[in-house]
Amino acid sequence: MATITLDKVSKTYGNRVEAVKSITLEVKDGEFVALLGPSGCGKSSTMRMIAGLEEITEGTISFDGKPVNNLRPRDRKVAMAFETYALYPTLTVYENLAFPLRSAGWDKAKIDEKVQEYAKLLELGRLLDRVPSDLSGGQAQRVGLARALVREPACFLLDEPISHLDTRQRHRMRQIIMRLHLEKGFTMIYVTHDQEEAMAMADRIVVMHEGMIRQIGTPAEIYRDPADDFVAGFVGEPPMNFLEGSPNLDDGQWMFRSGDRQFPLPKWMQPQGDKLPSNLSMGIRPFDVAVSTDGNTPHDAAGEVFVAENLCDYRIVAVDMTDVRFQAVTPTSFSVNRHQPVFLKFDPAFMRFFDKATGKAIQTPRD
Amino acid sequence: MIELKNISKRYGLTTFGVRDLNFEIRDQEFLVIYGPSGAGKSTTLKLLAGIIKPTSGDIVRDGQSLLETAPESRDMAMAFENYALYSHMSVRDNLAFPLHARAMSKKEIDERVQRMARTLQITDLLDRRPGFLSGGQRQRVALGRAIIRPASLYLLDEPIGHLDAKLRHRMRGELKAMSADLNATIVLVTTASREALALGERIAILREGHLQQIGTPDEVYYQPVNEFVASFVGEPPMSFLGIEPRSDGGKLRFQIQDCDDCLDVPMQLAQHLNGQKEGYRLGVRASEITVSSQKDPSHQVAGEVYIVEHMGYCNIISAKLGNGLVRVITESAVIPKRGETIWLSLNAENMHLFYQTKALQHPSRSRDGLKTNGVMTEAR
Repeated sequence: MATITLDKVSKTYGNRVEAVKSITLEVKDGEFVALLGPSGCGKSSTMRMIAGLEEITEGTISFDGKPVNNLRPRDRKVAMAFETYALYPTLTVYENLAFPLRSAGWDKAKIDEKVQEYAKLLELGRLLDRVPSDLSGGQAQRVGLARALVREPACFLLDEPISHLDTRQRHRMRQIIMRLHLEKGFTMIYVTHDQEEAMAMADRIVVMHEGMIRQIGTPAEIYRDPADDFVAGFVGEPPMNFLEGSPNLDDGQWMFRSGDRQFPLPKWMQPQGDKLPSNLSMGIRPFDVAVSTDGNTPHDAAGEVFVAENLCDYRIVAVDMTDVRFQAVTPTSFSVNRHQPVFLKFDPAFMRFFDKATGKAIQTPRD
Repeated sequence: MIELKNISKRYGLTTFGVRDLNFEIRDQEFLVIYGPSGAGKSTTLKLLAGIIKPTSGDIVRDGQSLLETAPESRDMAMAFENYALYSHMSVRDNLAFPLHARAMSKKEIDERVQRMARTLQITDLLDRRPGFLSGGQRQRVALGRAIIRPASLYLLDEPIGHLDAKLRHRMRGELKAMSADLNATIVLVTTASREALALGERIAILREGHLQQIGTPDEVYYQPVNEFVASFVGEPPMSFLGIEPRSDGGKLRFQIQDCDDCLDVPMQLAQHLNGQKEGYRLGVRASEITVSSQKDPSHQVAGEVYIVEHMGYCNIISAKLGNGLVRVITESAVIPKRGETIWLSLNAENMHLFYQTKALQHPSRSRDGLKTNGVMTEAR
């Protein structure tokens, strides 16, 4: 196991394309960290530099304080798992797992012990005698993970390992990967574009965009206190709603004015009303928007139903306002028709505000 | 209405793409075909489109067999996952292409292309060639080209699978609105549970070429016919516990496998048992049960916290019960520690009972939906 430190690490391809721009990050021993971002954000380049598969253009990567910039991949003791696996087609699953240990000169009893241990962790017990061509995609993938891990690396790197799986398999793999982490205590770095995977599994999430780190935090911090409007919009399902507007002092109270809508800014923002940027973006998650068909209930905005989706556990109602479409989560019992007028109320505890010019969040007070 | 009658497609001697499919596609319906990879979803679409011919069976539209009708004469519009766009044409021309065959003025074509581009948020890409687009952009162009013209049936194979979350939500809404506005008949293939539930008026669930169940989202969600459908529809997937019925002082109880706890068997369930000892499993959705840190009358079964997944608006806790794991959804403020004992509101009455993977009994619906820390009810 190892603590992994990235100090002002950059990656430039050719002499122009800067994929990673001076990022600094520490992954603690035994920690599960997700690198999250859209395609092209630099997350895979970062992982490949940690693995030693890409040269580091600038900066230092250290394992337990020792720089590894000049170490070959196999000397770094990292294991890497990809979305696709090249298993030895003529060997059984057992032999596929035993192979790396045998080449490392392990004795038979120790090999068997390790193979059985990882077969159990990755739920391969009944598959050990099969050859890769008799495995389903999901099974082959678990074998690939087990083979990457039998040598017990200092660090385990996973690059989008489950993004191509169906819903049920994805949930199963999530449990298996978390179990691996809990039982074996590997330092794990997990690259994904899927915010839900990152949220579900990671101790901390590193959100990346255009080669830079936008925020590092626990899933709860990233979800509830996004550092900027990019993080806010990228994390959360359904995605956060945004409304543009300005602070406006009305009868001694600071309001948020957006078009013909106006509602009070949350209490904690009142004292700093005059210091706020003139152009703000208000973000609110669909789970924190309440919907009513009754215009007499107090509301912050009004619109008409675009569509309503029934997810059985809950309903997602898309509401068109003149300038913007909002989504709100309602109980399944809430039934509406297309084009029906509805009224929205935003929970002030969960409104977040961003400086329109910089995208940066207006800091919420810590409790 | 289009009917699939005993449709089978065999590849080679023994491999079946689909087997004995029987279902109908109703006029103006949004039908989702849902299943894991290898289920025969895309094969079904290709059979409907006429790109491949069935080995046996018939496809009938309004009483007439479609099998001898060439694909281009079936009046169907298709968007397939590998987005075969014309690489030498701009996005604009790709979108306009299906309209040229129709007697439409240049102005009318232009307007339609503009409208479609706005809906799909690709207006600023209209003059580019497909080679200069990202995967998600190409997918939107392919979808646009399929749905830009009127057709008696739209066949969409994972049309929004490659888009990022924001865009996927937006396109999901647009597809749903389009089906309502145009009264279009749409068959859409997906491997994502939420997409299937959100879009389908009915969902056909396939597995290894066989139709498992077809029904409304509520039907397949609340009354799955077997363990496969139960575990494949809904997120997170349903949890299952092996149980053994046994008589305890004259009272019938379910002994949970590898676990000390027993569950009372309500009368209406007892009548469904067939005297067998093995083969029973109880299934329960993460949102159908609650947890408590203390034992109380409604939380009687102990579990050990094994995994906590943070979803932002809620947490998914996987609790160890004997050899099994049971998932339960809690408010995001509830974050139990690993290894801690929690009490679950497991109760045979609110669980699905399966015998040899087939459903015997479902709980009556009396749930309030998903709890969250945000407002979930109507405006206060």
